Amino acid sequence: MVSLLGKNGAGKSTLFLHFNGIYEPTEGQVLIDSEPVDYSKKGLMKIRQKVGIVFQNPDDQLFAPTVEEDVAFGPLNLGKSQEETQEIVTNALKRVDMSGYERKAPHHLSGGQKKRVAIAGILAMNPEVMVLDEPTSGLDPRGASEILQLLYELNNEGITIIISTHDVDLVPVYSNKVFVISKGNILTSGSTKEVFSDIGLIRKANLRLPRIAHLAEILEKHDGVDFNGDYPLTIGEARQKFNNIL
Amino acid sequence: MEFDIDFIAHTNRIADYNPYVKVIGSILLVLSALFINNNYYSIFIIIVSSLLLLALARVSLKDYVKFLTIPFAFTFLTCIFMLFFFPSGAYIWNSGFFGIGITTESLRVSLLTFFRVFACFSALGFMSLTTPITDVMSVLRTFYVPQIFCEIAVLMYNAIFIFLDNITVMRNAQKTRLGYLGGYIDSMKSFGSMFSNLFLISLEKSETLQRTLDSRCYTGELPVYKPDRSKDTYPELVS
Repeated sequence: MVSLLGKNGAGKSTLFLHFNGIYEPTEGQVLIDSEPVDYSKKGLMKIRQKVGIVFQNPDDQLFAPTVEEDVAFGPLNLGKSQEETQEIVTNALKRVDMSGYERKAPHHLSGGQKKRVAIAGILAMNPEVMVLDEPTSGLDPRGASEILQLLYELNNEGITIIISTHDVDLVPVYSNKVFVISKGNILTSGSTKEVFSDIGLIRKANLRLPRIAHLAEILEKHDGVDFNGDYPLTIGEARQKFNNIL
Repeated sequence: MEFDIDFIAHTNRIADYNPYVKVIGSILLVLSALFINNNYYSIFIIIVSSLLLLALARVSLKDYVKFLTIPFAFTFLTCIFMLFFFPSGAYIWNSGFFGIGITTESLRVSLLTFFRVFACFSALGFMSLTTPITDVMSVLRTFYVPQIFCEIAVLMYNAIFIFLDNITVMRNAQKTRLGYLGGYIDSMKSFGSMFSNLFLISLEKSETLQRTLDSRCYTGELPVYKPDRSKDTYPELVS
């Protein structure tokens, strides 16, 4: 799972719309699987099947009157038959734990449920890469961690997940690779450990350390607990470190 | 939202009942009311569709009354206008002012129009409160209603709910800053600025919608999904 961190207006959403050819670059080129994007109709079909985008606001994405029709939209556009589509829809909704909501109207669902349906709509197209713009924004803490758990599982099943987020507490738990961008440029990239070790840069990008790392920083500076500048980023890591110290 | 047609359409007792019967039935009621054009028949239709809605579909009386309020106000005003301003025949009451007054003919025509329009509204109400929009559209499609018409209708239907939500949010935002409180002119100003903002928002929304549709390989035609709900694999629906 790849996370993209950056302050508001850093260019995350714009970048994401380049990932499946919604925007066409005026300079440079977009490579997908090391091939430049083909902006012909046929090329775009292929790219958009391969790279699915889940938009930040599910209300923008869910346009159909019922959940099942919305999920069926992608596969039907790809030319699947009604029977194939039915199987795909059933499985996609089951995968996101929304089985049984087939005939509900999207605007009757909660925020978290809408998000799940939006994810199902992308899963139904069987993408290799799923791009999610702020998948946890507007969700309650439990809803947010459930969505990330789902993405983590999908990632383990072989789908590359790219998310943009501000939630620095959850990023270290789930991400393999992190990018920090600002004003359309990549400031730094690497593992969570590498990225969060440059505290100055993190703060310059309007981000912060995970709470637990911040606690460790304060403990080291003011209370003489020695972490060697290597602060734990997750609860699990912190537990181990504290145990070692104690 | 105070009153949600769509919610009622999905949750009433006969929501899953054959949509052809409901749609064709209510269209027949509407057409017959238009053709027969008789007060007693119109009242009969109003009673029949109200009874069907309240007793069979078990839509609450409160919701039904709410549904009818706007068309009622609209029809009522129109008929009042017709009653006073189209005098022909013998006067029942004459204001003596430019011939404005109630005549036998204007009374007859305005009553006729009122019941006729109201019969059509209640018959259409039966359809829109008992049949989810998807079902209505699938019925229309089998009658060769042009696809473009159905697509626009579905997208608009969906947009209405987002609009209503937006209006509520914006009105509340204005109210917290004392909008709508300073008398008539002020209310009009608040309403006007909200409306122009709504227009800008809807433009923006349409662009976003295009993007989200495009990113799922939209071909310019909304595909029709017809699942076989009798299959064993079709999941049990939550209520």
